[in-house]
Amino acid sequence: MNSAKSYQKKKGTGYVFTSGLGLVISLAMVAWIIIIILVKGLGFFWPGDVLQVKLQNGDSYMGELWDEHLDKETLVEETQIKIGNRDVYGRDFIWLKNNEIASRSYPENAVTFERMEYGNFYGFIKAAYLDDKIVQPGDGETLKDVVFDVHDQAMDTKEQINDLQEEATEIMAPLAEVQREMTLLQLAGAEETATGKQQFDELQKKADELDKEISPQIEKINAQLTTLVLRDRASYLEVETADGTTKHIELSSIVRFFYPNEMGAVSKSIHYAGKLWEFVADNPRESNTEGGVFPAIFGTVLMVLLMSIAVVPFGVLAAIYLNEYAKQGAIIRFIRLSVNNLAGVPSIVFGVFGLGFFVYAVGGSIDQLFFSSKLPEPTFGTGGILWASLTLALLTLPVVVVATEEGILAVPRANKEGALALGSTKWQMIRKIVLPNAMPGILTGLILAISRGAGEVAPLMITGVVKLAPTLALDGSFPFLHLDRKFMHLGFHIYDVGFQSPNVEAAKPMVYSTALLLIIIVVLLNLFAIYIRNNLRKKYKTSTF
Amino acid sequence: MSTEHKTPKDFRRKVERADRWSRRVITTGGYGIIISIVSILLFLIYQSLPLAKGASINEILSMPATRSENPVVLTGVDPYLEVFYELDNRGSIKFYNVDSKALIKEDQLPLKANEKILTAAKGNLTKEIFTVGSDSGRLITSSIEMKPEYTKSGRTIEAMVYQEEEWQAATENDTIPNHIEKLTFVENSDGTRVWSWIDHTGKLWLRIYDAEDEEEYLYDLSEDISGQITSFSLSHNAENLVVALKDKNVYWFDISDFEKIQLKDRWTLETIADAVNYLLGDQAVAIGGQDGSVSVWFPVRSPANLFKFRKVHEFISHNAAIDQIYVSSRNRNFLTVDTKGNVKLHYSTTGQTQLEFKPADFPVTAAAFSPKSNAILVVDGQKRFSLYNLENPHPETTLKTLFGKVWYEGYPKEEFVWQSTGGSDEFESKLSLIPLIFGTFKGTLFAMFFSVPLAIFAAIYVSQFAPKRLARQIKPTIEIMAALPSVVIGFLAGLYFSPLFEEYLMVIFLFVILLPLFFLIALFIWQRIPEKMQARFPLGIEILFVIPIGIITLVFAMSFDHVVEQILFQGNFQQWLYSTLQITYETRNSLVVGFALGFAVIPIIFTVSEDAISNVPESLSSASLALGASKWQTVRRVVLPAASGGIFAAIMLGLGRAVGETMIVLMATGNTPIIDLNPFNGFRAMSACIAVEIPEAPVGGTLYRVLFFTGLLLFVFTFIVNTLSSLIGDRLRKKYARF
Repeated sequence: MNSAKSYQKKKGTGYVFTSGLGLVISLAMVAWIIIIILVKGLGFFWPGDVLQVKLQNGDSYMGELWDEHLDKETLVEETQIKIGNRDVYGRDFIWLKNNEIASRSYPENAVTFERMEYGNFYGFIKAAYLDDKIVQPGDGETLKDVVFDVHDQAMDTKEQINDLQEEATEIMAPLAEVQREMTLLQLAGAEETATGKQQFDELQKKADELDKEISPQIEKINAQLTTLVLRDRASYLEVETADGTTKHIELSSIVRFFYPNEMGAVSKSIHYAGKLWEFVADNPRESNTEGGVFPAIFGTVLMVLLMSIAVVPFGVLAAIYLNEYAKQGAIIRFIRLSVNNLAGVPSIVFGVFGLGFFVYAVGGSIDQLFFSSKLPEPTFGTGGILWASLTLALLTLPVVVVATEEGILAVPRANKEGALALGSTKWQMIRKIVLPNAMPGILTGLILAISRGAGEVAPLMITGVVKLAPTLALDGSFPFLHLDRKFMHLGFHIYDVGFQSPNVEAAKPMVYSTALLLIIIVVLLNLFAIYIRNNLRKKYKTSTF
Repeated sequence: MSTEHKTPKDFRRKVERADRWSRRVITTGGYGIIISIVSILLFLIYQSLPLAKGASINEILSMPATRSENPVVLTGVDPYLEVFYELDNRGSIKFYNVDSKALIKEDQLPLKANEKILTAAKGNLTKEIFTVGSDSGRLITSSIEMKPEYTKSGRTIEAMVYQEEEWQAATENDTIPNHIEKLTFVENSDGTRVWSWIDHTGKLWLRIYDAEDEEEYLYDLSEDISGQITSFSLSHNAENLVVALKDKNVYWFDISDFEKIQLKDRWTLETIADAVNYLLGDQAVAIGGQDGSVSVWFPVRSPANLFKFRKVHEFISHNAAIDQIYVSSRNRNFLTVDTKGNVKLHYSTTGQTQLEFKPADFPVTAAAFSPKSNAILVVDGQKRFSLYNLENPHPETTLKTLFGKVWYEGYPKEEFVWQSTGGSDEFESKLSLIPLIFGTFKGTLFAMFFSVPLAIFAAIYVSQFAPKRLARQIKPTIEIMAALPSVVIGFLAGLYFSPLFEEYLMVIFLFVILLPLFFLIALFIWQRIPEKMQARFPLGIEILFVIPIGIITLVFAMSFDHVVEQILFQGNFQQWLYSTLQITYETRNSLVVGFALGFAVIPIIFTVSEDAISNVPESLSSASLALGASKWQTVRRVVLPAASGGIFAAIMLGLGRAVGETMIVLMATGNTPIIDLNPFNGFRAMSACIAVEIPEAPVGGTLYRVLFFTGLLLFVFTFIVNTLSSLIGDRLRKKYARF
């Protein structure tokens, strides 16, 4: 008995199992986080059925079933419903006590409206109006057909309005440019000097001429616009909420509407795909809580590209120096220590450095030298995509150095010595032997740097990221790439929508989807890097002489 | 060969040139790494260094005493330091240009013939309005405007004097006319004006003009006070009056209700106060004593919920009696002037005397801060006017305020407080780094408690006990965990885990308590299984064994949490915590942060220590096994000691990551800068504080530099941790490398 016990102790079964437990918990944590994000991120786009509940006191609510829980105080089961209709109720969600609910139903003709403003609307369609006149369904037509038809018409009208407005802006552009120059002159106080005054008068004359030239066109467009806008305003749906209140919704403010309770799995899937596409390809709506995240994806990609342009050459040079040029000794030890430490410096410290050095010191000097006419409004002296990229380049530098070194170390010594023995210079050897063979390592470094850069937020939020950028940093106007512009970023989008938005509960699904997108990007990049690295190892295992 | 290099010699020259250039460029790249990290360090130091700089002055103007025959009673300068004025006791106001020293304008207060000004007082910190009291009992209130005018040739200052009002104090059946001996005056932001003065009979009067109701009030305060008055001061918001007496008593009147003046407090000093003055913020009063002592007092809430004035800061004493105190309009700076003409500059919050200077050999008759507090002007008894540039960018930070306890206005005692911005310009900024440092280490501690055992056990299992095939798949999985962006973890912690923890707190507690229990029971059963059968299970059975235990524990915890909560904690654990232990439960608390930081820290510790354990030479463990040690004994006695360097390095790296992590702590805590070990409330970490506050901080201001300094602290800390980790890791590795 005693010996058996001591044997067990010696064998340490308990410790072995404990270490297994440690691993299982760690893996369970990873699985947990991935599953939550997958479920919540992907579930959001699925069109939820619209539930109508009638309470015992006669009230009635309609919306998507959101959550259920047990209230700890009263021990009553409660149901949370997303009732939408923010313009009617003033809130998006409601908790109902289950014992007060008299009946639940899923009415066939319940409609979900996605709107430009005030979030979703849940209700029934009573009638459709075009030009203030009710549209009656024709023979063999249902009200539903009519509504889809008038919505299409309203969307056409809206598009025409947009086109006309764009046309007007284009016609006005030369005049606007002249007026801008005049304002600049005025701001600079040039009117007080004789030459400045003359310049100003010339511009004034030019502006008057332009005005005369384009005003007939503008008037024509304005007349057209007026009719269209009036028609747009007079086209609406008469809808009814669950409790019988009727309301008018302008057709052009409806992004899309559907009858979720009637939809089968196939039509729901089609709807789902459409929503998914909207998410990655459209602009955000309603202070980022609806619509898509295209500008954030665009900003992330552009920032990461700029960062790569800066970090890869620098990192590769440093790695080559460490392995091919530096002599073993204090310097190389110091550089390695620097790389290690650079990797360990908190990202926010890079952010602080970026803000103080790039934005205020370098950017401020650039403004003084080249953009002094615009001061005190800063051009480069404020956060922008260039400064954010450079800050991240510094942050990801060690990643590139370490990965490139790994690649260089994997190049067999014999190959290098062979090249030198044949009379090549060191640079020729590096160019023809080391670099091509270290390419997978460099690529690994690049990918890991991109993945790190795409996920980093703290340094960006103080060097140029904004919640809503009015324009992309890359567009059709000269000089096409606007390095001074602020940009949107997926990671910051998560922080901003999840924590800074006024309606966090309604914004949550959007945040999960964005998080999922970011994780997919980052994880794919990492898997790719791991794949390349493993192949690199295999390749050189066989090529030793 | 192409046409470019015609001869082999040319070709060689070209190749060699390329070689030389590439060597230069690559070497630059290598040194670039050192340059980057050193420049980050130097830049952070460069930005935070001005915090340590004290105040300094340099004289920009000294005008000799030839202009006026009469003593000067009041002086002031415009915000751009271009024009200054002097008011003498005959009511003549002269404006001079600072650069050219030329008289640019002269004006005259409406004094009668032979009427002399006995006293003068400014009434507002931001604009030049003042009252003079004369020897015929008149209070004449005037204002001066020094407005910048922009013309082609640049900026000129246009000086104007406006007469605001005159008022005659009654001469109550007296043979000699009423004298205004000493005066204080205030106009607050509503336009309400309050005057308080002592007449020739020694009586203290209070006159109020209420701008809102356009009503006037006059009080004789001598009824409440018995004794000779030495000095008195009105608060700038016209709500308080303090009066110091020759018997060392000080009286505090609440005059905010104009219809009912209230005596709120009375206390005794150790010396006679010859000068008192309210500082910016209207809380603290600077008191200068006849013995030369300087102190700051403000009301502190007593246990009986009454406000009592307490001496909070004491400054370096003068050698002579102090007769004047001047207050800055920008911060808690004030000047004390003694009867021998020595001037000292103090800062109330820090309790520091920053400067001492003696403008002349004669006593000072009038002094002032410039409107932006960037200059000090002094007129001495010989009517020499001096203007000093005051360089004092960060008076509110000293080592003591950054790292020590400070007694702030309105607080009951000395405390560590971080509160960088307030509602008004008069806000006293509280920049103690201790709550932030505490917050950072609180979060780190919870994270390390949670992650270190998990990660190291997992590393031991994967490298020593797991089947090789499994191990190859697990490593990349954990590496993926390392790649999860911290913003995603932070967002989940803030919006998913924290409400979940709040709702299922009891389940989590039960799980943590029951898991070891169930684990031991299961282990006991396992050991009863005969050896032969145990051997038949495949390698890695431990994992399959552990998973059901975890699931059973979870199910058990979830089904009995209500029961346990009812029996032990009266049905609501959070409420029980509050009512029994006075611990508040915040949704976003340190437990959640510790758990969430685990996602960031575990993969680092795991990967590095797994590498270290795997790299222990086969020969060591083989020898141990051959000598008959069990697998676990080999791990415990041979492998772990050999890998201890790597494991230590891993923990250090994890520590560095936890200390610097920003987004997780930003999103998963409430960011309240409190010092409290309670695991159920939040904290404010250094990193999160920088991220939140630096975008709003004015460039070059104190907050901006303090945040840079915080960044420097983080940098230095992680630098030390990283260097330690590589040094000690190396040394331990060498120690075992001989095997």
